[in-house]
This record gives sequence, structure tokens and C-alpha cells, in this order.
Amino acid sequence: MTLALLAAAPKGPLDTWSPTLVELFALLLPLIGLLIILAFTIDSRRLSAGIAVTFTLATVVCAVIVLAIELAHPLPGQRNGTFLQFFTGQAGAAGQFTLMWGVLLDPLASVMLLTVSLVSLLVQIYALATIRREDGPIRFFAVLLLATFAMIGVVASTNYFEMLLFFGLTTLSTYLMIGHWWQREEAAAAASRAFIVSLIGDMALLVGIAYIYFRFNELNFAVLAGQYTGGKVSANGLFAMSILVFIAAAAKSAQFPLHVWLPGTAQAPAGAAALIHSAGTALCGVYLIARAYALFHASPRGLALVAIVGGVSAVLGVVFALFQENLKRAIAYTTMGELGLMVLALGIGAFGASAFEVFTQAWPKALLFLAAGVIIRELRTERLAEMGGLWQRMRFTGWLTLIAVAAAAGIPPFSSFWSKDAILSKALAIGSTPAIIVIVGVTLIGAMALVRIFGLVFLGETARRRRFEPDRIRDAGGRAAFAMAIFAIISVVAGIRGFRGRADPIAFITFPRVPVSNSHFVAAGTIAIAAIAGAAIGWILFSRRRPVAALEPVRRVIAEGFFIERAYRLAAVGVLLPASRASSWVETRLIAGALDLLSDSVAFAGQPRRWLGDLGLRQLLIGLFAGVVALAVITMVLAGRLIGKTG
Amino acid sequence: MTLLQAIPTTTATPVQFPTLLLSGMVWIPAIAAIALLFFPARTDQHRDRIRSFVLAAMFVVLGLGVVMWYGFRDQTGTFAYEESRGWLPGIGSSYHLGVDGVSMPLLLLSAFLFVFAGLASSRIREQSKEYFVLLLVLETGVNGVFASLDYLLFFLFWQLQAVPMFLLIARFGGPRRLHAAWKFLAVDLAGSALLLLAILILYFKSPTRTFDIVTLHDVTLPATTATMLTWLFFIPFAIKLPVFPFHNWFIDAQAQAPAPVGLILVGLTVKLGGYGIIRVDVGEFQLGFHRIVGAVIVIALLTVLWSAVAALAEGDLRRLIGYVVMSHMGLVLLAAASAAPVAVNGAVLLMVADGLTAALLVQLAAAIVERANTGSIAAMGGMAGRMSRGAALWLIAALAAIGFPGLAGFIGQLLIVIGAYPSHRIATPLAVLGIVVVAGAMIWAVQRILFGPLPERHARVRDLGTLELANGVGLVALIVLLGVLPAILMDSINFSVITLLTRLSGG
Repeated sequence: MTLALLAAAPKGPLDTWSPTLVELFALLLPLIGLLIILAFTIDSRRLSAGIAVTFTLATVVCAVIVLAIELAHPLPGQRNGTFLQFFTGQAGAAGQFTLMWGVLLDPLASVMLLTVSLVSLLVQIYALATIRREDGPIRFFAVLLLATFAMIGVVASTNYFEMLLFFGLTTLSTYLMIGHWWQREEAAAAASRAFIVSLIGDMALLVGIAYIYFRFNELNFAVLAGQYTGGKVSANGLFAMSILVFIAAAAKSAQFPLHVWLPGTAQAPAGAAALIHSAGTALCGVYLIARAYALFHASPRGLALVAIVGGVSAVLGVVFALFQENLKRAIAYTTMGELGLMVLALGIGAFGASAFEVFTQAWPKALLFLAAGVIIRELRTERLAEMGGLWQRMRFTGWLTLIAVAAAAGIPPFSSFWSKDAILSKALAIGSTPAIIVIVGVTLIGAMALVRIFGLVFLGETARRRRFEPDRIRDAGGRAAFAMAIFAIISVVAGIRGFRGRADPIAFITFPRVPVSNSHFVAAGTIAIAAIAGAAIGWILFSRRRPVAALEPVRRVIAEGFFIERAYRLAAVGVLLPASRASSWVETRLIAGALDLLSDSVAFAGQPRRWLGDLGLRQLLIGLFAGVVALAVITMVLAGRLIGKTG
Repeated sequence: MTLLQAIPTTTATPVQFPTLLLSGMVWIPAIAAIALLFFPARTDQHRDRIRSFVLAAMFVVLGLGVVMWYGFRDQTGTFAYEESRGWLPGIGSSYHLGVDGVSMPLLLLSAFLFVFAGLASSRIREQSKEYFVLLLVLETGVNGVFASLDYLLFFLFWQLQAVPMFLLIARFGGPRRLHAAWKFLAVDLAGSALLLLAILILYFKSPTRTFDIVTLHDVTLPATTATMLTWLFFIPFAIKLPVFPFHNWFIDAQAQAPAPVGLILVGLTVKLGGYGIIRVDVGEFQLGFHRIVGAVIVIALLTVLWSAVAALAEGDLRRLIGYVVMSHMGLVLLAAASAAPVAVNGAVLLMVADGLTAALLVQLAAAIVERANTGSIAAMGGMAGRMSRGAALWLIAALAAIGFPGLAGFIGQLLIVIGAYPSHRIATPLAVLGIVVVAGAMIWAVQRILFGPLPERHARVRDLGTLELANGVGLVALIVLLGVLPAILMDSINFSVITLLTRLSGG
């Protein structure tokens, strides 16, 4: 696909066309669509959906143009405008405080731009077919446009301030998407949880911005990139900065221990969940680390932190995925594994490979969620135990799910095999044994977990339930099937690399001073063996849809989230609640008590409670005014005496 | 750009403004209040006429405010619309009014909020004449405090706004109104006594017998006297702000006040405290303030954190809003204590933003409490099903209170954190922690009020009426405008802040 785009980019007059201008259009189009829906078509389902799809399609066109230009001339570009600027000169030291906003364009941004807008478009086409009238379709499309706008904003951010701004908007869009079915208690709770975890990250970024601005007087990524290593800030300072930025990234990209919101995305409608997991909020964090990579690169400890947390999250994610009872939660946890792998890749310096992994896993992950949406709609349950036997009844969805599983698991020649291979190549090149073990292990267990999902849903016999007739199951069709088929096609081909020249996605997205390691056969072979072995083990263990006796003891521990959620609850119930109870006791007994004493004595001074009801307003006013004047006179006389003596 | 070029020429020829505009903003409500005394108030028609008349007066004030704002934008840190007349020459007090970039946005906020309060007052049926008289007097008092440049005048307006507020709460408030009103008055009187004492000490200690703020600025006082005066000025303002542990009056008063009065209380009365601290403590006693800054930081931090924890524990919707406002004012205090230009800019902006946001929250909370027939958050739930417009507005208001990007509070908070960080590198992150907890409490409240299944007893709840909706949308429009284009306010705020901070003062 990239090769075709390369040919499509003309070398002539388009060169004078600023690609950042096109990117600006891509950023603003979803916002304009959203405003049109809110202002004019809030009452019309058809028109709203049409506007959403049209504007997203236009965004995709812009993104294709941008990527084509960028492939022809891979140069970073920026277009900046002033958001807020004022003078801060204090006693001779002239200074200026400036907040800028703008759009940034480089290979990484252009690839992400296309991924985000295309996933959003396909999800909307899918939603056209599947969302029902009572589900709030207008709200759904409006929120999807908001999410697209926010995500493109993150992608196009030129500086930390703008990143914070759009991080906030992605927080909101995630909140609205997870809380789409707000009548359900669980959905509302999951939405609140996602918001708060996200907000913790945003606020960490805010403090990070304060710190970075304090030290460098600058927030622009490109300008800052050259300054971190200038000796302005000590190694500890850089480490502190990278921790703060990383907390923000971890909250968005569900890194341990801030991953607790990710399973809650199972409450979102399938299309929204697909967007969040493939190119939306969950990828913001990875993108932030990539964008601020100069900071991490300047702080070796920061990079190590990224690698360690990424590795831990990856392992936890795939292990959790292996024990989930709920279809969407199981898929969500496999995303956590992938995200951990991307973060780990960034931590070990596989910059291009990580971005490539973002690109290759987006399509199968979206496809899995869309397929899950069809399955859940037909079966009217999300529990894996109540599924099974769908291979005969939903052959089309079954094939697509199989492709998605293969592509996400890293089975050659599907998409994510190529990116996992590239990540492992880097780990081999730097010779880091823990990283190699984690990557291979995550690939193995991840493949098991994905095959388990497929096995439990499609193989065996459909579980019998009351008031459920398996014969009435219908396969996906029409526009939903079209969107899913496109995802499947891209899942197959997204990994293809032209190994020479610019069309190689890993060589296309590079970071200066970080060498690109060429993949070699050891890495490719290891990943292929791990993925196929994992898939085989998964098939053997789960194709019969029976509980595996060997795994039963650990199931209960891990299915509940390995005590992490319990620890959060303990912190909330055990620490925060008692603290607030204590504070309210102090408040009502001590503070209010003391104030009551004061106010009661004032009130008592005139016995006003008796006459406030009887007397008119005028008397009251006069009385009060007299009181105030008297008080003023007494104070004046006293003060005059007091000061008269001393001064 | 124009700002930077303007800096070297701060002594440019002063622009001649019509001086009566400011007096108009201050006194038109009072004149309207006197005129209102002669209106009959027997029938509904009479009452409607009273309301229209009051709204007309408030709109005139708003118009004056906008015109003044328009003419004000090119100012470079000096006082504009200055008006000085002899008043009590014997004791050295004059009728001296004027605005700068700190007071002008707040004055404009006041003009807007009183219009919204007037519009929201349609529910007041009994004694509506008295109610509107008091509301107009309140407006004169509030605007007077923002406009006066003479300590004695300042003090008189300070008293003038307290008395009608007390009466409005005591006569028109909720079930525990008397309790709340007396608490308000007691705390206010205690604070006022200290304020008067501070003013008098300053008056007698200065070589020139004058109450003029601008003249007194150049007086040099011994360090101990200056520090004592700083404290004496700080305490009444801080109580008004409100700070921990003197916040209880505020939480009670705003929960018991009728919605339009609560709107003024959270939107403007507490901002008087913030304005006082920036104008007098930061502006006039900078060196003295610098000496007590450690204590101020501790107070600010306690305020932010206490309000955060208390907000989590609070089960009453209207009291929860009180704590949210209190946490914002704690941030304002933190910014004032840092005395960095960026932070003080942010403090003024946050006060305006919080005024708008809190006004919206109070109105919506009153509407929700009225419909749910209870103030308890735990007893609500699923309200979004019956009042979708109200839910959308409430969500926007909650996000604005959290300081969400694109809404008014965001830039204010951002500027405060960035500006205060260099001087207070531990306190600022702790304050941010407080923001997170307050935001969590707000989001949790949204979940419990709006979401979840609709209980049987709320099955017949009405959505917001046209007037409520119009009020809410108007406030949201201002909140979004300020969130997207903060520059419309920042330009002129900044020059006054710079002027305030660069002239060292207070011996």
C-alpha cells in the first residue's frame, strides 16, 4: 500500500503545497463536522451520520495526501500559531510567556494520521449498519468525531501544552464512549474510573510541563530535542521530567499500575472500543513517549523505566487475557499486552519498530472488536462460557476473526509478525536477555490468549440457554461486513515491508542517533516459532471449550486482576474514605462548632430571631447600619488612642 | 505583538476617558433600588414590572461594563476611568474610583453575573420588591469594592455588600437560612473589624493623613508595622476567600442561599477576598507579604487539600459545589503567594473563570435539587434520562470546574501551576494533587446524579425550562469563549499585574 502511495505523490506543483496546511484541514474537519451536528442536525439521525461519515472521509483524503507528500519528501515540518502570549518582565528582566498551538508533520505523524482517520471512518461505516435507534446514534457519531479530532490533535501536537490540551479531549471522548450506555451502573462506573485514571496522567503531565518550562523556558518538542543534552539540567532532573511525562503516557496507554481503566472499555459500544484500542486513546501514551523521545533518550534511567514498566505491563496483559470470562475484556487485555510491547520497544530503542507495531496491530485489534460487536449482538451475551459453535453459523465473521487472531498473534506472514520481528531484532542487537525473554514470552502467551478467544467463541457446540434460539443467529452483512472486510485486508497486508529504501516503514520512521537494526533470520524465526507454538498450545488447550485443570488454581487470582484492583479499592475504602470521614468530623464538630459559638453570640446580642420575623425590612436595615456605624466608631476611637500613644 | 512594543512607553499620554462611566456602574443599581421603593407590588403584573425594571438597570450596567472594557483594552497598567472628587477633605478621604487590569475583568464578571442572577430570580414571588432592592444594593456594594481607590471608600462598600447579602440569605434562603445568615454576618463582622483596624493604623502611621490607596503606596513604614498591617489586611480577605479553617460560613451560606444569591456568593463575594489579597497584600505590601509568604503557602495548601478531601466526603450537592469553589480559591491564594507574573495572571483569569463556572453549577444544582426534591447526592441517580438538556449542561459545568481544556478554568490553572512552580516546587504539585481529588469528586458526583437506572420517584421529572436553559447556555458560551480565546482578557490583565509586581512596596 505504501508503494502505491509513493507512486501517487507527484513531484511537481504539489511540492509547493504545504503539507502542514493539508494536515491542518485534517485536524479541523472532524471538529467542523461535530459543530455542524451539534448546531444543526442534532435531531436527525440520518443527516448526523451522513455528516460524520462525510467529514471523516474528507479527513482520510487529507491524510492520504499528507502521507503521500511525506513519503516523497520525508521532512519534518511545523506550522505554529500563538495561543496565548504575554510579557512577564519583572524588575528589568524582560521575559515573555508564550503558549503556541500548531500542527507538526513528520513521518511518524503522517502514518498515525492515516491510521486514526481510516480506523475512524471504517468504524463509522460499521456503526451505520449496526447501531440501533435506541442506542443514541447521534450521540455516538458526535462522540466519534470528537475522539477523531482529539486523537488527530494529539498526533499533530507541536509542543507539550498542545499535547496536554488534546490529552484532555481524548480523556473526555473516552469518558463519553465508555459511558455511552450510561443507564448501566457498570458503564457509568467504568467511565468515571477511566476519566479519573486519565486525569491523574494529565495532571502529571501538567506538573511535568511546569518543570520543563521552568528549566528550559520552552515547550516545543523540536526545539527542546536539542536542549536536553545541553547540560542545563542534571541527570536527576531529566529523570524526574521523564517520570512525569511517562506517568501521563502510562495512564493513557494502560501501563501497570494505571491499566485499571482499560478493561472498562468493554462497556463501550463495539465500534467505540475498536477506535479506543486500535488508534485512539490507548495509543496516545505510546505516541507521547515517541514524541518526547529526546527526553527519554537523554535520560538512560528514564529509558530503562519505560522498558521495565512496558515489559511488566506486556506480561501482565497477556496473562490476564488468558483468564478472562468476558469476550470484550479478554480482547482488551490482549491490547494491554500489545501496548506493553510497544512501550518496551521504545524503552530498548526500537523506535521505528514500535511505531510500526502501532500501525500493524491497529487493524486486527479493531477487527476483533467489531467482530465481537456482531457476535455479542447476535448472542445477546458477553460471557465466553455461553458462546461456542459459531463456526457453522457465522462463517464470514469466523474467517475474519481467524485472520485478526493470526495477524494480532504475529503468525507469519500477517501484519504484526513483521513488527514483532523488528522489535526482537533490536533486542537481539543490543543483547538484552530480559527483553528477549519478555518479547518471546509475550508473543507465545499472547498467541495462546487470542486462539483461546477464537476457540471459545467459534468451536464446539453453542451453549444452551433459556429463551435463546441458536438458529436465529445471522452473520454480519452489508456495510458492517464491508468495513470488517477492509480491516481484514489491511490486517493481512499492513506488515509488508519494502526492504530497501524509503518504503520500509521502519526506516521511514526514525529517530536521530538511534540506529535502525535490520531484522535477521534469527529474530524472524524465533517470533514465527513462538507465535505458532503459542497458537498450537492454545488450540490444544482450549479448542474443546473445557476448563483446563492445570490452570484452575491460578484462575481465581488472576481473573480478578491479580489483587491490583483490590489494592486500589483498599486504598479508596481504607485510606481516602476514612480521611474524608475524619475531615468531616473535624469540620462539623470543631470548625462549625467554633463558628457557631461566634455566630450564636452575635445572634444572641440582639435576640434577633424573635424580631426578624415581625419587624419589616426597613427597621432591620436601620438597626444593622447603626450597629455597623457604632462598631466603626468604637474601633476608630480605640485605634486612634492606641496609635496616638505609640506613633 | 502590540503588547511588547508598548512596554517601553508606559508613560504614554494618558487616554481621556469619560469619567462618569465607572460611577455609573457603581451607582446605577443603587439609584434603581431607590426608585424601586416607589413601585407598587400588589399584583403579579406589578411584580413583573419590578423584575423588568431591575433587569433593565442590570443590563444598563452590563452595557456600561462592556463599553468600558472595549475602551480599556489599550491600557498599559495604569488606572483608567479614574474619578477623584473631594469627599471628606477633613480626614483626607476622597471619592476616588478607578480600574486597572485586575479589577476590570472582575467588574465585567460582576456585571454579567448580576444579569444572570436577575434572570434566574423569576421564582421569587413573595416580597419580590424587597428582594430586588437588596439585590441592587448588593450590586452597588460589589462593584464599589472593585472600583474604589480609597481605603475608607473601600471599607464602606465592603460593608455595603455584606448587609444585603445577610438579609437575602436570612429572608429568602433554605430551611437553615437563619443559622447560615448569622454565621455569615458574624464572620464578616469579625473580618471587617480587622480590616477597619488595619486601615486606621495605616492612616495614622503614614506621614500624610490620607486614605488614598495610590498615595499611600509610596509611604515607607517600619518593617514590623508593615508585616503587622499585611497580616491585618490578609486575615479579613482570607476569611472571605474562604480559607481553611474559616470556610464553614461559606459552605453553609451558599448552600442555604436562594439560587440567584448563591450564584452571587460563589461567583463574586468570594472573589472580593481574592481581589483584596491581590490588590492590597500583593500590590501594596509586597515586601511585608513576602515575609509572611511561608504561612500563606501553608494556608493555601491546607485550603486546597482540605476542600478536596471534604468534597469527597460531602453528600449534599450544593455543599459539594462550595468545596469545589473553595479549592479554586486556594489555588488563587497559592498564585498570589508566588507573586510571579504568570501565576498572578492565572489567578485573575481563574477567578473570572471560576465565577462563571460556579454560577452555572449553582443554578443547575438548584434546578436538580428542586426536581429531585432532595439535596442528597445518594438519593439521586439516572436524572439524565429525564433531563437530557440539564445533564449536558451539568456535564459541561463539571468539566469546566475541573479545569478542562477548551473551557475557562483550564488556562487559569495552567498559568497558576506553571507560574507558581519555580518558587514553590513542593506546594504546587501537592496543590495539583488536590485538583485531581476535587475532579474525582466531581466526576463521581456526575455519575451518581445523572447516570445509572432511573429510579421510580424521578419518573416525572421535567427537563430544564426555557429560561433556565437560556441562562445556562449563556454562561456556557462565556465559559467556552474564555477557554478558547483567553487572550481577550489576558492582554490587559497582564500589564496591571506587571505594574503591580514591579513597583516594590510596603517597606
